[in-house]
Amino acid sequence: MSAAESLGAAWHWQSWAVLRRNALVFVRNWKTAVVPPAMEPVIFFLAFGIGFSGYIENLDYQGVSINYATYVAAGLIAYTGFGTPYYEALYAAYVRMFYQKTWDGILATQVELPSVVWGEILWASLRGMVNISIVSLVVGVFDLLGVVDVRLPFLLCMPFLGFVAGLAFASFALIFTAIVPGIDHMNYPVFLIGWPLSLVSNTFFPIDPSHPVLRVLWQLNPVYQLAEAARGLLVLGDPGSHLVGLLGSTLLLLIPSTLLAVRLTRKRVLGE
Amino acid sequence: MTSPILEAKGLTKRYGGRTVVDDLDLECYPGAVLGLLGPNGAGKTTTLRMLYGFVPPNAGSIRYAGRDFFEHRTETKRMIGVCTQDDSLDYDFTVSQNLFIYASYFRPRIEDPAARVAELLDRFALAPYADESPHVLSGGFVRRLLIARSIVHRPDVLFLDEPTTGLDPSARLDAWELIDAMRSDGLAIVLTTHYMDEAERLSDRLLVIHEGRDVAHGRPHEVIGDLLGDHVVVIPRDEPRRDRIDAWLRGRGAEHVASVLGEVRVPVSKDDLVALSAEFEGATWQVRPPNLDDLFIALSRQQGKQP
Repeated sequence: MSAAESLGAAWHWQSWAVLRRNALVFVRNWKTAVVPPAMEPVIFFLAFGIGFSGYIENLDYQGVSINYATYVAAGLIAYTGFGTPYYEALYAAYVRMFYQKTWDGILATQVELPSVVWGEILWASLRGMVNISIVSLVVGVFDLLGVVDVRLPFLLCMPFLGFVAGLAFASFALIFTAIVPGIDHMNYPVFLIGWPLSLVSNTFFPIDPSHPVLRVLWQLNPVYQLAEAARGLLVLGDPGSHLVGLLGSTLLLLIPSTLLAVRLTRKRVLGE
Repeated sequence: MTSPILEAKGLTKRYGGRTVVDDLDLECYPGAVLGLLGPNGAGKTTTLRMLYGFVPPNAGSIRYAGRDFFEHRTETKRMIGVCTQDDSLDYDFTVSQNLFIYASYFRPRIEDPAARVAELLDRFALAPYADESPHVLSGGFVRRLLIARSIVHRPDVLFLDEPTTGLDPSARLDAWELIDAMRSDGLAIVLTTHYMDEAERLSDRLLVIHEGRDVAHGRPHEVIGDLLGDHVVVIPRDEPRRDRIDAWLRGRGAEHVASVLGEVRVPVSKDDLVALSAEFEGATWQVRPPNLDDLFIALSRQQGKQP
Protein backbone atom coordinates (compact mmCIF):
# COMPACT_ATOMS: atom_id res chain seq x y z
CA MET A 1 0.00 0.00 0.00
CA SER A 2 1.40 3.37 -1.02
CA ALA A 3 1.96 6.34 1.30
CA ALA A 4 -0.83 8.22 -0.47
CA GLU A 5 -3.25 5.37 0.13
CA SER A 6 -2.23 5.15 3.79
CA LEU A 7 -2.80 8.87 4.25
CA GLY A 8 -5.94 8.93 2.11
CA ALA A 9 -7.50 6.29 4.35
CA ALA A 10 -8.35 9.17 6.72
CA TRP A 11 -11.37 9.93 4.53
CA HIS A 12 -12.40 6.34 3.94
CA TRP A 13 -15.65 5.03 5.40
CA GLN A 14 -13.62 2.26 7.05
CA SER A 15 -11.77 4.74 9.28
CA TRP A 16 -15.05 6.33 10.28
CA ALA A 17 -16.49 2.90 11.11
CA VAL A 18 -13.61 2.35 13.56
CA LEU A 19 -14.15 5.85 14.97
CA ARG A 20 -17.84 5.10 15.35
CA ARG A 21 -17.07 1.87 17.20
CA ASN A 22 -14.90 3.69 19.75
CA ALA A 23 -17.42 6.49 20.09
CA LEU A 24 -20.20 4.01 20.84
CA VAL A 25 -18.13 2.44 23.61
CA PHE A 26 -17.42 5.90 24.99
CA VAL A 27 -21.11 6.83 25.02
CA ARG A 28 -21.93 3.49 26.62
CA ASN A 29 -19.41 4.12 29.41
CA TRP A 30 -19.82 7.89 29.55
CA LYS A 31 -20.06 8.11 33.33
CA THR A 32 -16.56 6.73 33.79
CA ALA A 33 -15.19 7.89 30.44
CA VAL A 34 -16.08 11.57 30.61
CA VAL A 35 -15.92 12.98 34.10
CA PRO A 36 -12.78 11.52 35.73
CA PRO A 37 -10.34 12.17 32.83
CA ALA A 38 -11.71 15.66 32.25
CA MET A 39 -11.33 16.46 35.94
CA GLU A 40 -7.54 16.23 35.77
CA PRO A 41 -6.99 19.52 33.92
CA VAL A 42 -9.74 21.13 35.97
CA ILE A 43 -7.96 20.15 39.18
CA PHE A 44 -4.70 21.40 37.70
CA PHE A 45 -6.42 24.66 36.93
CA LEU A 46 -7.74 24.99 40.44
CA ALA A 47 -4.43 23.99 42.03
CA PHE A 48 -1.97 25.89 39.87
CA GLY A 49 -4.06 28.56 38.23
CA ILE A 50 -6.11 29.68 41.19
CA GLY A 51 -3.70 28.50 43.87
CA PHE A 52 -0.57 30.13 42.48
CA SER A 53 -2.28 33.27 41.24
CA GLY A 54 -2.14 34.85 44.65
CA TYR A 55 1.64 34.42 44.79
CA ILE A 56 2.55 35.37 41.22
CA GLU A 57 2.48 38.88 39.89
CA ASN A 58 0.70 39.67 36.68
CA LEU A 59 2.46 38.57 33.50
CA ASP A 60 3.02 40.61 30.40
CA TYR A 61 1.61 38.78 27.41
CA GLN A 62 2.37 40.65 24.19
CA GLY A 63 1.82 43.97 25.84
CA VAL A 64 -1.25 42.92 27.83
CA SER A 65 -1.05 42.40 31.56
CA ILE A 66 -2.75 39.15 32.59
CA ASN A 67 -2.94 37.25 35.84
CA TYR A 68 -1.38 33.82 36.17
CA ALA A 69 -4.75 32.02 36.15
CA THR A 70 -5.51 33.53 32.75
CA TYR A 71 -2.09 32.44 31.50
CA VAL A 72 -2.61 28.89 32.76
CA ALA A 73 -6.15 28.64 31.36
CA ALA A 74 -4.80 28.59 27.81
CA GLY A 75 -1.97 26.32 28.89
CA LEU A 76 -4.36 23.80 30.32
CA ILE A 77 -6.34 23.78 27.11
CA ALA A 78 -3.09 22.93 25.29
CA TYR A 79 -2.17 20.39 27.97
CA THR A 80 -5.56 18.72 27.54
CA GLY A 81 -5.34 18.91 23.75
CA PHE A 82 -2.02 17.13 23.93
CA GLY A 83 -2.51 14.72 26.82
CA THR A 84 -5.93 13.35 25.99
CA PRO A 85 -5.21 12.09 22.46
CA TYR A 86 -1.64 11.14 23.34
CA TYR A 87 -2.61 8.92 26.26
CA GLU A 88 -5.72 7.61 24.53
CA ALA A 89 -3.60 6.47 21.58
CA LEU A 90 -1.03 4.99 23.93
CA TYR A 91 -3.02 3.14 26.55
CA ALA A 92 -6.54 2.67 25.25
CA ALA A 93 -5.38 1.78 21.74
CA TYR A 94 -2.83 -0.64 23.16
CA VAL A 95 -5.51 -2.36 25.22
CA ARG A 96 -7.72 -2.68 22.15
CA MET A 97 -4.85 -3.95 20.06
CA PHE A 98 -3.10 -6.29 22.49
CA TYR A 99 -5.47 -7.38 25.24
CA GLN A 100 -8.92 -7.15 23.70
CA LYS A 101 -7.89 -8.22 20.18
CA THR A 102 -10.42 -5.68 18.92
CA TRP A 103 -8.22 -4.80 15.97
CA ASP A 104 -7.90 -8.46 14.98
CA GLY A 105 -11.68 -8.70 14.84
CA ILE A 106 -11.99 -5.53 12.80
CA LEU A 107 -9.24 -6.56 10.39
CA ALA A 108 -11.12 -9.78 9.66
CA THR A 109 -13.71 -7.62 7.88
CA GLN A 110 -13.48 -5.25 4.93
CA VAL A 111 -11.63 -2.73 7.09
CA GLU A 112 -7.95 -2.39 6.22
CA LEU A 113 -5.14 -1.68 8.62
CA PRO A 114 -4.50 2.00 7.68
CA SER A 115 -8.15 2.63 8.47
CA VAL A 116 -7.77 1.04 11.89
CA VAL A 117 -4.83 3.38 12.54
CA TRP A 118 -6.78 6.39 11.23
CA GLY A 119 -9.86 5.38 13.18
CA GLU A 120 -7.77 5.45 16.35
CA ILE A 121 -6.18 8.80 15.42
CA LEU A 122 -9.54 10.40 14.69
CA TRP A 123 -11.09 8.96 17.82
CA ALA A 124 -8.24 10.08 20.09
CA SER A 125 -8.49 13.59 18.63
CA LEU A 126 -12.23 13.61 19.14
CA ARG A 127 -11.73 12.63 22.76
CA GLY A 128 -9.34 15.53 23.09
CA MET A 129 -12.07 17.75 21.69
CA VAL A 130 -14.55 16.50 24.31
CA ASN A 131 -12.16 17.08 27.18
CA ILE A 132 -11.15 20.52 25.90
CA SER A 133 -14.85 21.40 25.75
CA ILE A 134 -15.17 20.56 29.45
CA VAL A 135 -12.05 22.55 30.35
CA SER A 136 -13.28 25.47 28.24
CA LEU A 137 -16.59 25.37 30.07
CA VAL A 138 -14.79 25.57 33.42
CA VAL A 139 -12.62 28.44 32.17
CA GLY A 140 -15.79 30.18 31.00
CA VAL A 141 -17.36 29.85 34.44
CA PHE A 142 -14.24 31.26 36.10
CA ASP A 143 -14.27 34.14 33.64
CA LEU A 144 -17.82 34.95 34.70
CA LEU A 145 -16.68 34.75 38.32
CA GLY A 146 -13.88 37.20 37.53
CA VAL A 147 -11.06 34.80 38.35
CA VAL A 148 -9.72 34.83 34.78
CA ASP A 149 -10.13 37.31 32.00
CA VAL A 150 -10.58 35.72 28.58
CA ARG A 151 -12.52 36.54 25.42
CA LEU A 152 -15.42 34.20 25.96
CA PRO A 153 -16.54 33.67 22.32
CA PHE A 154 -13.12 32.33 21.45
CA LEU A 155 -13.54 29.51 23.94
CA LEU A 156 -15.79 27.96 21.30
CA CYS A 157 -12.77 27.65 18.98
CA MET A 158 -10.68 25.74 21.49
CA PRO A 159 -12.09 22.22 20.87
CA PHE A 160 -11.51 22.60 17.13
CA LEU A 161 -7.91 23.76 17.60
CA GLY A 162 -7.43 20.80 19.92
CA PHE A 163 -8.88 18.39 17.39
CA VAL A 164 -6.44 19.49 14.69
CA ALA A 165 -3.40 19.26 16.95
CA GLY A 166 -4.72 16.04 18.48
CA LEU A 167 -4.34 14.29 15.13
CA ALA A 168 -0.58 14.80 15.32
CA PHE A 169 -0.30 13.78 18.98
CA ALA A 170 -2.35 10.62 18.47
CA SER A 171 -0.43 9.54 15.38
CA PHE A 172 2.85 10.10 17.22
CA ALA A 173 1.63 8.03 20.18
CA LEU A 174 0.57 5.17 17.90
CA ILE A 175 4.21 4.68 16.91
CA PHE A 176 4.93 3.67 20.50
CA THR A 177 1.76 1.64 20.73
CA ALA A 178 3.02 -0.41 17.81
CA ILE A 179 6.46 -1.08 19.25
CA VAL A 180 6.29 -1.32 23.04
CA PRO A 181 6.69 -4.94 24.15
CA GLY A 182 4.27 -4.56 27.08
CA ILE A 183 2.04 -1.98 28.67
CA ASP A 184 4.63 -1.30 31.40
CA HIS A 185 6.95 0.00 28.69
CA MET A 186 4.48 2.83 28.08
CA ASN A 187 6.35 4.56 30.92
CA TYR A 188 8.98 5.59 28.36
CA PRO A 189 6.73 7.61 26.04
CA VAL A 190 4.73 8.87 29.03
CA PHE A 191 7.48 10.05 31.34
CA LEU A 192 10.28 10.76 28.90
CA ILE A 193 8.21 12.45 26.19
CA GLY A 194 4.67 13.18 27.33
CA TRP A 195 5.37 14.87 30.62
CA PRO A 196 8.39 16.97 29.57
CA LEU A 197 6.64 18.09 26.39
CA SER A 198 3.50 19.09 28.20
CA LEU A 199 5.47 21.12 30.75
CA VAL A 200 7.93 23.01 28.57
CA SER A 201 5.56 24.19 25.86
CA ASN A 202 4.44 27.50 27.36
CA THR A 203 1.65 25.71 29.16
CA PHE A 204 2.32 26.43 32.84
CA PHE A 205 5.12 28.95 32.48
CA PRO A 206 6.59 30.96 29.61
CA ILE A 207 9.79 29.82 27.98
CA ASP A 208 11.59 31.94 25.45
CA PRO A 209 14.65 30.03 24.30
CA SER A 210 17.52 32.20 23.20
CA HIS A 211 19.42 29.60 21.18
CA PRO A 212 18.34 29.63 17.50
CA VAL A 213 18.17 25.83 17.29
CA LEU A 214 15.89 25.71 20.30
CA ARG A 215 13.78 28.44 18.78
CA VAL A 216 13.27 26.38 15.63
CA LEU A 217 12.43 23.30 17.72
CA TRP A 218 9.88 25.32 19.64
CA GLN A 219 8.27 26.44 16.41
CA LEU A 220 8.00 22.82 15.31
CA ASN A 221 6.42 21.78 18.59
CA PRO A 222 2.62 21.53 18.13
CA VAL A 223 2.00 21.71 21.90
CA TYR A 224 3.72 25.07 22.03
CA GLN A 225 1.85 26.26 18.95
CA LEU A 226 -1.45 25.07 20.42
CA ALA A 227 -0.78 26.82 23.74
CA GLU A 228 0.20 30.06 22.04
CA ALA A 229 -2.65 29.96 19.50
CA ALA A 230 -5.13 29.35 22.32
CA ARG A 231 -3.60 32.11 24.44
CA GLY A 232 -3.51 34.54 21.56
CA LEU A 233 -7.19 33.99 20.88
CA LEU A 234 -8.30 34.02 24.51
CA VAL A 235 -6.26 37.03 25.57
CA LEU A 236 -5.90 39.12 22.42
CA GLY A 237 -8.55 37.73 20.13
CA ASP A 238 -5.78 37.12 17.60
CA PRO A 239 -3.69 33.94 17.36
CA GLY A 240 -1.06 35.71 15.30
CA SER A 241 1.23 33.40 13.39
CA HIS A 242 0.55 30.54 15.76
CA LEU A 243 -2.50 29.36 13.87
CA VAL A 244 -0.38 28.79 10.80
CA GLY A 245 2.35 27.41 13.05
CA LEU A 246 -0.12 25.01 14.58
CA LEU A 247 -1.31 23.75 11.19
CA GLY A 248 2.25 23.46 9.88
CA SER A 249 3.70 21.70 12.90
CA THR A 250 0.68 19.40 13.02
CA LEU A 251 1.18 18.35 9.42
CA LEU A 252 4.91 17.95 9.91
CA LEU A 253 4.32 15.55 12.78
CA LEU A 254 1.13 13.90 11.52
CA ILE A 255 2.27 12.74 8.09
CA PRO A 256 5.49 10.89 8.97
CA SER A 257 4.05 9.62 12.26
CA THR A 258 1.00 8.15 10.55
CA LEU A 259 3.05 6.48 7.84
CA LEU A 260 5.41 5.04 10.43
CA ALA A 261 2.56 3.97 12.70
CA VAL A 262 0.85 2.16 9.81
CA ARG A 263 4.06 0.40 8.90
CA LEU A 264 4.92 -0.63 12.46
CA THR A 265 1.37 -1.66 13.26
CA ARG A 266 1.26 -3.81 10.14
CA LYS A 267 4.42 -5.52 11.29
CA ARG A 268 3.11 -6.05 14.78
CA VAL A 269 -0.48 -7.02 14.10
CA LEU A 270 -0.18 -8.79 10.76
CA GLY A 271 3.41 -10.00 11.10
CA GLU A 272 4.24 -8.41 7.77
CA MET B 1 -19.91 -28.06 -13.53
CA THR B 2 -20.02 -25.32 -10.86
CA SER B 3 -17.18 -22.82 -10.97
CA PRO B 4 -15.00 -22.46 -7.91
CA ILE B 5 -15.89 -19.47 -5.77
CA LEU B 6 -12.29 -19.38 -4.51
CA GLU B 7 -9.36 -20.25 -6.70
CA ALA B 8 -5.71 -19.80 -5.71
CA LYS B 9 -2.78 -20.69 -7.90
CA GLY B 10 0.93 -20.81 -7.18
CA LEU B 11 0.61 -19.21 -3.75
CA THR B 12 4.04 -18.65 -2.30
CA LYS B 13 5.09 -16.89 0.87
CA ARG B 14 8.60 -16.32 2.10
CA TYR B 15 9.69 -14.88 5.43
CA GLY B 16 13.33 -13.89 5.30
CA GLY B 17 15.01 -16.67 3.40
CA ARG B 18 12.47 -19.31 4.44
CA THR B 19 9.67 -20.44 2.17
CA VAL B 20 6.62 -21.01 4.35
CA VAL B 21 4.13 -21.69 1.57
CA ASP B 22 5.45 -23.03 -1.68
CA ASP B 23 3.54 -22.91 -4.97
CA LEU B 24 0.21 -23.95 -3.50
CA ASP B 25 -2.96 -24.35 -5.58
CA LEU B 26 -6.43 -24.70 -4.09
CA GLU B 27 -10.07 -24.39 -5.02
CA CYS B 28 -13.25 -24.19 -3.03
CA TYR B 29 -16.78 -24.57 -4.38
CA PRO B 30 -20.13 -23.23 -3.18
CA GLY B 31 -21.75 -25.63 -0.75
CA ALA B 32 -18.51 -27.50 -0.10
CA VAL B 33 -15.98 -27.68 2.71
CA LEU B 34 -12.28 -27.70 1.93
CA GLY B 35 -10.27 -29.10 4.83
CA LEU B 36 -6.78 -27.69 5.12
CA LEU B 37 -4.59 -30.09 7.06
CA GLY B 38 -1.03 -30.35 8.16
CA PRO B 39 1.12 -30.52 11.26
CA ASN B 40 2.05 -27.41 13.23
CA GLY B 41 4.21 -25.11 11.12
CA ALA B 42 3.06 -26.66 7.86
CA GLY B 43 1.87 -23.31 6.52
CA LYS B 44 -1.90 -23.63 7.04
CA THR B 45 -2.39 -20.38 8.91
CA THR B 46 -0.11 -18.45 6.54
CA THR B 47 -2.14 -19.83 3.63
CA LEU B 48 -5.36 -18.68 5.25
CA ARG B 49 -3.92 -15.27 6.04
CA MET B 50 -2.98 -14.81 2.40
CA LEU B 51 -6.41 -15.94 1.27
CA TYR B 52 -8.24 -13.43 3.43
CA GLY B 53 -5.79 -10.66 2.81
CA PHE B 54 -3.85 -10.31 6.06
CA VAL B 55 -0.53 -10.84 4.30
CA PRO B 56 0.31 -10.54 0.61
CA PRO B 57 1.83 -13.55 -1.13
CA ASN B 58 5.24 -13.25 -2.77
CA ALA B 59 3.85 -15.03 -5.81
CA GLY B 60 0.60 -16.50 -7.02
CA SER B 61 -2.95 -15.40 -7.67
CA ILE B 62 -6.18 -15.49 -5.69
CA ARG B 63 -9.58 -15.14 -7.35
CA TYR B 64 -13.00 -14.93 -5.78
CA ALA B 65 -15.85 -15.69 -8.19
CA GLY B 66 -13.38 -15.15 -10.99
CA ARG B 67 -12.32 -11.70 -9.79
CA ASP B 68 -8.72 -11.00 -8.91
CA PHE B 69 -8.39 -10.45 -5.18
CA PHE B 70 -5.64 -7.87 -5.45
CA GLU B 71 -7.28 -5.79 -8.17
CA HIS B 72 -10.72 -5.83 -6.51
CA ARG B 73 -9.69 -6.16 -2.92
CA THR B 74 -12.44 -4.18 -1.21
CA GLU B 75 -15.22 -5.74 -3.29
CA THR B 76 -13.91 -9.28 -2.92
CA LYS B 77 -13.35 -8.86 0.83
CA ARG B 78 -17.07 -8.25 1.03
CA MET B 79 -17.48 -11.87 -0.13
CA ILE B 80 -15.31 -13.29 2.66
CA GLY B 81 -16.15 -14.23 6.22
CA VAL B 82 -13.30 -14.86 8.63
CA CYS B 83 -13.45 -16.68 11.92
CA THR B 84 -9.96 -16.76 13.40
CA GLN B 85 -8.97 -19.19 16.10
CA ASP B 86 -8.41 -16.43 18.67
CA ASP B 87 -11.33 -14.96 20.54
CA SER B 88 -11.58 -11.48 19.02
CA LEU B 89 -15.09 -10.70 20.23
CA ASP B 90 -15.71 -7.12 21.18
CA TYR B 91 -16.25 -7.34 24.91
CA ASP B 92 -17.22 -3.70 25.10
CA PHE B 93 -20.56 -4.69 23.54
CA THR B 94 -23.33 -7.16 24.23
CA VAL B 95 -23.86 -10.30 22.20
CA SER B 96 -26.30 -8.70 19.78
CA GLN B 97 -24.27 -5.48 19.61
CA ASN B 98 -21.28 -7.57 18.56
CA LEU B 99 -23.26 -8.61 15.51
CA PHE B 100 -24.46 -5.08 14.80
CA ILE B 101 -21.04 -3.51 15.13
CA TYR B 102 -19.49 -6.18 12.93
CA ALA B 103 -22.16 -5.54 10.32
CA SER B 104 -21.06 -1.90 10.25
CA TYR B 105 -17.63 -2.89 8.93
CA PHE B 106 -19.01 -3.87 5.51
CA ARG B 107 -20.09 -1.96 2.41
CA PRO B 108 -22.45 -2.17 0.66
CA ARG B 109 -24.35 -2.12 3.91
CA ILE B 110 -26.21 -5.19 5.06
CA GLU B 111 -29.88 -5.00 4.21
CA ASP B 112 -32.08 -4.83 7.29
CA PRO B 113 -29.35 -5.52 9.86
CA ALA B 114 -31.88 -5.88 12.69
CA ALA B 115 -33.59 -8.76 10.91
CA ARG B 116 -30.25 -10.36 10.08
CA VAL B 117 -29.02 -10.12 13.66
CA ALA B 118 -32.29 -11.56 14.97
CA GLU B 119 -32.03 -14.41 12.48
CA LEU B 120 -28.46 -15.23 13.52
CA LEU B 121 -29.23 -15.00 17.24
CA ASP B 122 -32.04 -17.46 16.70
CA ARG B 123 -30.13 -19.79 14.43
CA PHE B 124 -27.08 -19.96 16.68
CA ALA B 125 -29.21 -20.29 19.85
CA LEU B 126 -27.80 -17.01 21.15
CA ALA B 127 -31.13 -15.22 21.57
CA PRO B 128 -31.32 -15.79 25.35
CA TYR B 129 -27.97 -13.98 25.70
CA ALA B 130 -28.66 -11.19 23.21
CA ASP B 131 -28.42 -8.42 25.80
CA GLU B 132 -25.71 -10.01 27.89
CA SER B 133 -22.00 -9.39 27.74
CA PRO B 134 -20.07 -12.11 25.90
CA HIS B 135 -18.29 -12.65 29.23
CA VAL B 136 -21.24 -14.76 30.40
CA LEU B 137 -20.95 -17.16 27.46
CA SER B 138 -19.39 -20.61 27.73
CA GLY B 139 -16.59 -21.57 25.33
CA GLY B 140 -19.03 -23.25 22.99
CA PHE B 141 -21.28 -20.20 22.83
CA VAL B 142 -18.33 -17.85 22.35
CA ARG B 143 -17.44 -19.94 19.32
CA ARG B 144 -21.04 -19.77 18.11
CA LEU B 145 -20.97 -16.00 18.38
CA LEU B 146 -17.63 -15.80 16.56
CA ILE B 147 -19.01 -17.89 13.70
CA ALA B 148 -22.32 -16.00 13.63
CA ARG B 149 -20.41 -12.72 13.54
CA SER B 150 -18.27 -13.91 10.63
CA ILE B 151 -21.32 -14.54 8.44
CA VAL B 152 -23.39 -11.51 9.46
CA HIS B 153 -22.75 -9.90 6.05
CA ARG B 154 -23.80 -13.06 4.15
CA PRO B 155 -20.41 -13.94 2.67
CA ASP B 156 -19.86 -16.47 -0.10
CA VAL B 157 -16.72 -17.97 1.43
CA LEU B 158 -16.11 -18.60 5.11
CA PHE B 159 -12.70 -19.25 6.63
CA LEU B 160 -12.83 -21.23 9.83
CA ASP B 161 -9.49 -21.51 11.55
CA GLU B 162 -9.64 -24.37 14.07
CA PRO B 163 -13.27 -23.67 14.96
CA THR B 164 -13.62 -26.31 17.67
CA THR B 165 -10.30 -26.04 19.45
CA GLY B 166 -10.86 -25.98 23.18
CA LEU B 167 -14.51 -27.05 23.03
CA ASP B 168 -15.97 -29.95 24.96
CA PRO B 169 -17.29 -32.90 22.90
CA SER B 170 -20.88 -31.72 23.06
CA ALA B 171 -20.02 -28.20 21.95
CA ARG B 172 -17.89 -29.66 19.15
CA LEU B 173 -20.83 -31.65 17.86
CA ASP B 174 -22.99 -28.53 17.97
CA ALA B 175 -20.35 -26.64 15.99
CA TRP B 176 -20.26 -29.44 13.43
CA GLU B 177 -24.01 -29.18 12.98
CA LEU B 178 -23.73 -25.45 12.41
CA ILE B 179 -20.93 -25.87 9.89
CA ASP B 180 -22.87 -28.56 8.09
CA ALA B 181 -25.95 -26.34 7.96
CA MET B 182 -23.94 -23.43 6.53
CA ARG B 183 -22.57 -25.74 3.86
CA SER B 184 -26.11 -26.82 3.03
CA ASP B 185 -26.98 -23.15 2.58
CA GLY B 186 -24.43 -22.96 -0.21
CA LEU B 187 -21.56 -21.37 1.68
CA ALA B 188 -18.06 -22.38 0.60
CA ILE B 189 -16.03 -23.15 3.72
CA VAL B 190 -12.29 -23.41 4.15
CA LEU B 191 -11.59 -25.21 7.40
CA THR B 192 -8.40 -25.89 9.29
CA THR B 193 -8.43 -28.27 12.19
CA HIS B 194 -6.22 -30.52 14.22
CA TYR B 195 -9.07 -32.96 14.84
CA MET B 196 -8.84 -35.64 12.23
CA ASP B 197 -12.34 -36.96 12.81
CA GLU B 198 -13.64 -33.44 12.29
CA ALA B 199 -11.77 -33.04 9.02
CA GLU B 200 -12.95 -36.42 7.77
CA ARG B 201 -16.58 -35.83 8.68
CA LEU B 202 -16.91 -32.23 7.58
CA SER B 203 -14.67 -31.93 4.54
CA ASP B 204 -15.76 -32.66 1.03
CA ARG B 205 -12.19 -32.29 -0.08
CA LEU B 206 -8.89 -32.18 1.73
CA LEU B 207 -5.66 -30.40 1.04
CA VAL B 208 -2.75 -31.73 3.04
CA ILE B 209 0.13 -29.31 3.43
CA HIS B 210 3.54 -30.32 4.60
CA GLU B 211 6.39 -27.81 4.82
CA GLY B 212 4.32 -25.37 2.77
CA ARG B 213 3.73 -27.77 -0.09
CA ASP B 214 0.70 -29.69 -1.27
CA VAL B 215 1.44 -33.33 -0.44
CA ALA B 216 -2.04 -34.64 -1.19
CA HIS B 217 -5.44 -33.37 -2.14
CA GLY B 218 -8.79 -34.83 -3.03
CA ARG B 219 -11.61 -36.58 -1.24
CA PRO B 220 -10.66 -37.66 2.30
CA HIS B 221 -10.48 -41.40 1.59
CA GLU B 222 -8.50 -40.79 -1.61
CA VAL B 223 -6.01 -38.59 0.19
CA ILE B 224 -5.46 -41.15 2.92
CA GLY B 225 -5.19 -43.98 0.42
CA ASP B 226 -2.69 -42.08 -1.71
CA LEU B 227 -0.42 -41.31 1.20
CA LEU B 228 -0.79 -44.31 3.48
CA GLY B 229 -2.14 -47.25 1.50
CA ASP B 230 -5.08 -49.55 2.12
CA HIS B 231 -4.67 -50.81 5.68
CA VAL B 232 -3.07 -50.03 9.00
CA VAL B 233 -1.76 -52.91 11.07
CA VAL B 234 -1.88 -52.22 14.79
CA ILE B 235 0.42 -54.43 16.84
CA PRO B 236 -0.37 -54.27 20.57
CA ARG B 237 2.39 -53.60 23.07
CA ASP B 238 2.02 -57.06 24.66
CA GLU B 239 2.56 -58.99 21.40
CA PRO B 240 5.82 -60.91 22.02
CA ARG B 241 6.92 -60.75 18.40
CA ARG B 242 6.15 -57.07 18.04
CA ASP B 243 9.74 -55.99 17.38
CA ARG B 244 10.29 -58.73 14.86
CA ILE B 245 7.10 -57.85 13.01
CA ASP B 246 8.07 -54.21 13.07
CA ALA B 247 11.51 -54.99 11.66
CA TRP B 248 10.04 -57.31 9.05
CA LEU B 249 7.62 -54.66 7.84
CA ARG B 250 10.34 -52.04 7.72
CA GLY B 251 12.48 -54.49 5.79
CA ARG B 252 9.71 -54.68 3.18
CA GLY B 253 9.84 -50.92 2.84
CA ALA B 254 6.92 -49.96 5.10
CA GLU B 255 6.99 -46.22 5.73
CA HIS B 256 5.35 -44.09 8.41
CA VAL B 257 5.78 -46.67 11.17
CA ALA B 258 4.42 -45.03 14.31
CA SER B 259 4.68 -46.08 17.93
CA VAL B 260 1.88 -44.82 20.12
CA LEU B 261 2.11 -45.77 23.82
CA GLY B 262 4.01 -48.93 22.89
CA GLU B 263 1.52 -49.88 20.21
CA VAL B 264 2.99 -50.08 16.71
CA ARG B 265 0.90 -48.75 13.82
CA VAL B 266 2.05 -49.53 10.32
CA PRO B 267 0.24 -48.59 7.11
CA VAL B 268 0.60 -51.51 4.72
CA SER B 269 -0.54 -52.57 1.26
CA LYS B 270 -2.86 -55.50 0.59
CA ASP B 271 0.09 -57.66 -0.56
CA ASP B 272 2.11 -56.88 2.56
CA LEU B 273 -0.84 -57.80 4.71
CA VAL B 274 -1.14 -61.21 3.06
CA ALA B 275 2.59 -61.82 3.43
CA LEU B 276 2.50 -60.70 7.07
CA SER B 277 -0.27 -63.18 7.87
CA ALA B 278 1.75 -65.99 6.33
CA GLU B 279 5.03 -65.00 8.01
CA PHE B 280 3.71 -64.46 11.52
CA GLU B 281 0.94 -66.98 11.90
CA GLY B 282 -0.65 -66.83 15.32
CA ALA B 283 0.59 -63.33 16.14
CA THR B 284 -1.90 -60.84 17.51
CA TRP B 285 -2.67 -57.69 15.60
CA GLN B 286 -5.57 -55.64 14.39
CA VAL B 287 -6.20 -54.39 10.90
CA ARG B 288 -8.20 -51.25 10.30
CA PRO B 289 -8.60 -48.70 7.53
CA PRO B 290 -6.16 -45.81 7.74
CA ASN B 291 -7.48 -42.51 9.02
CA LEU B 292 -6.31 -38.96 9.13
CA ASP B 293 -4.73 -39.50 12.53
CA ASP B 294 -2.31 -41.92 10.89
CA LEU B 295 -1.59 -39.40 8.19
CA PHE B 296 -1.09 -36.59 10.65
CA ILE B 297 1.26 -38.61 12.82
CA ALA B 298 3.18 -39.75 9.76
CA LEU B 299 3.62 -36.20 8.51
CA SER B 300 4.56 -34.86 11.92
CA ARG B 301 7.22 -37.54 12.40
CA GLN B 302 8.53 -36.94 8.92
CA GLN B 303 8.80 -33.25 9.72
CA GLY B 304 10.56 -34.04 12.99
CA LYS B 305 13.26 -35.88 11.08
CA GLN B 306 14.00 -32.86 8.96
CA PRO B 307 16.93 -30.70 10.08
